[in-house]
Amino acid sequence: MKPLAWRGNVDFFSGVLLSGIAIFALFYIRTLEIGTVLQMGSGYFPLGLALILLGMGLVLIVKGVLSGGSAVDTIYLRPLFFVLLSFALFGVLVERAGLICAILAQVVVAHFGSRETRLLESIVLAAVLAAVSSVLFVWILKIPVSLLP
Amino acid sequence: MMDIFASLAHGFAVAATPTNLLFCLIGTVCGTLIGVLPGLGPVATISLLLPVTFALNPISAIIMLAGIYYGAQYGGSTTAILVNIPGESTSVVTAIDGYKMAQQGRAGEALAVAAIGSFIAGCIGTLVIAMAGPPLALMTQKFASPDYFSLMVLGLISAVVLANGSMFQAIAMIFLGLLLGMVGMDINTGQPRMTLGLIELSDGINFVALVMGLFGIAEVIANLEQVSDRVVNHSRINSIWPSMKVLRGAWASVMRGTFIGTIFGILPGGGATIAAFSAYALEKRVAKDPSRFGNGAVEGVAGPESANNAAAQTSFVPLLTMGIPTSATMALMIGALTLHGIAPGPMVISRQPDLFWGLIASMFIGNLMLVIINLPMIGIWVKLLSVPYRLLYLIILVICAIGVFSVNNSAFDIYMTVGFTLLGYILRKLNAEPAPLLMGFVLGPMLEENFRRSLITAHGNAMVFFERPISLVLLIMSAALLLSIAVPSIVRWRGEVFKET
Repeated sequence: MKPLAWRGNVDFFSGVLLSGIAIFALFYIRTLEIGTVLQMGSGYFPLGLALILLGMGLVLIVKGVLSGGSAVDTIYLRPLFFVLLSFALFGVLVERAGLICAILAQVVVAHFGSRETRLLESIVLAAVLAAVSSVLFVWILKIPVSLLP
Repeated sequence: MMDIFASLAHGFAVAATPTNLLFCLIGTVCGTLIGVLPGLGPVATISLLLPVTFALNPISAIIMLAGIYYGAQYGGSTTAILVNIPGESTSVVTAIDGYKMAQQGRAGEALAVAAIGSFIAGCIGTLVIAMAGPPLALMTQKFASPDYFSLMVLGLISAVVLANGSMFQAIAMIFLGLLLGMVGMDINTGQPRMTLGLIELSDGINFVALVMGLFGIAEVIANLEQVSDRVVNHSRINSIWPSMKVLRGAWASVMRGTFIGTIFGILPGGGATIAAFSAYALEKRVAKDPSRFGNGAVEGVAGPESANNAAAQTSFVPLLTMGIPTSATMALMIGALTLHGIAPGPMVISRQPDLFWGLIASMFIGNLMLVIINLPMIGIWVKLLSVPYRLLYLIILVICAIGVFSVNNSAFDIYMTVGFTLLGYILRKLNAEPAPLLMGFVLGPMLEENFRRSLITAHGNAMVFFERPISLVLLIMSAALLLSIAVPSIVRWRGEVFKET
């Protein structure tokens, strides 16, 4: 996959990210009791933090628009996508299909995250990892998870 | 003075039990391993092994985790010298002269000086913890909530100095971390906060998932983006025993490095990497012939290697005496202690003497183990470098997944890790360091607790933070630290330090 030839401004996007998170948090803080300095409610401190974060995010946005800071690094989607997918797949499978299937699936999907992997090698490694983890984590360290569906 | 020796003897009795010796060995071996392998730092490894320690008692667990941290300082130098790949950021300067020495056929000499320097520095650093710990803890016991609040502010500000890149962004990262730390049940009212209505979040965000995502897996993805060109073509090691002449030349550098490392380790905002860089700069300045540096000067290995080890040890001082982390690794240690039901702070020494003195004694033992692990067995570690990353990353991913899952046996934590990996990746692309975020996340609940308590006892008077002398001094120190980063010469120095990492 070709690197995404997408350029932007670091400050601007940091600002967008931070103020986005702050607004998201404020949405949930809204329902909490704020209280006063003397009788602080559960929302007092989070509200303060979220407002400061929002302010800083907005400053970064303005700074990014005005000064045009350094460009964002190239983003390669391939490793990002396959590694995240492999991880999520582990989560979906581990309780439903057992640890062995989860590891096999994870390794095979993560395999596609790199261009240097060789399929046969990765499959052998997946089998070895599944076997070793079964012995080490389930048998010796006694993590309560089933091995097979 | 006698007290310390009696306590240390007690500590050795704790550390020398077969179980604790075993976990000390496991820790130092793991540390050496990750020190040798580039692309896997101590933060990721400690979080990786954190779930494994749940089955252990807290003392064995912390002995092992500490071993990983200082063990990594040893391992990092090995590959820096032999193949010019610094395994850790703390060994970046070691590679400059160390690799040159190796090319000149003096690899054994460089490795020996690095190991011996590290050992001496490690022991002195440990001694400093033993001596400075109890009085500092006693002092901290006088702290009231406003003082604690200000101490944490100082700790957080110090994270900004550590961070690479824009200061403003680093401060924003702290606030993001603090906010994430608020998720979960409110301690005072028991009300769930920002849990998005999810029952899984009522205990707060899973620490291991956060660290693993931000530091571990995001790093794997970043490594996969680069084409690996690890052609391992290492120099031959002839004799690992340096001549007396070399040792005499390196002696003073080891001492200077130890001194710098000890100071930087204790100071907020210090840490092993900055200590190593500063030691290198100092060696260059005091040398009669600075032009030898970069061409295989033994001082250029001895100074920084001693400094990073001394700093790795003494950074435990603020952690064990005040409960304040000075770096991301130490923030992780706080998390580890908390998960084991121990609140790090001034009470640790008096209430958990076994833990404090046992840990210190284990550091002496661990440093000795590391010299033995590293010098004669160096060939094995270098062989490890030939494990290609295309296999290594798959192994790392599987261990991470099992590690996160085993904390609560919950698939939800795995999904959370996916989310934090994405966040960590984006932050990386935006040149924002995740280390201040972690510091904020760990200190957030404590900060809020002390803030609320201070204002309640002061009847809502916010001036309380400026009226108590201890608190005022700490706040002035924080302000000075913050301002100092803006001073041009320090800006330049920070630039130099981080340029090469």
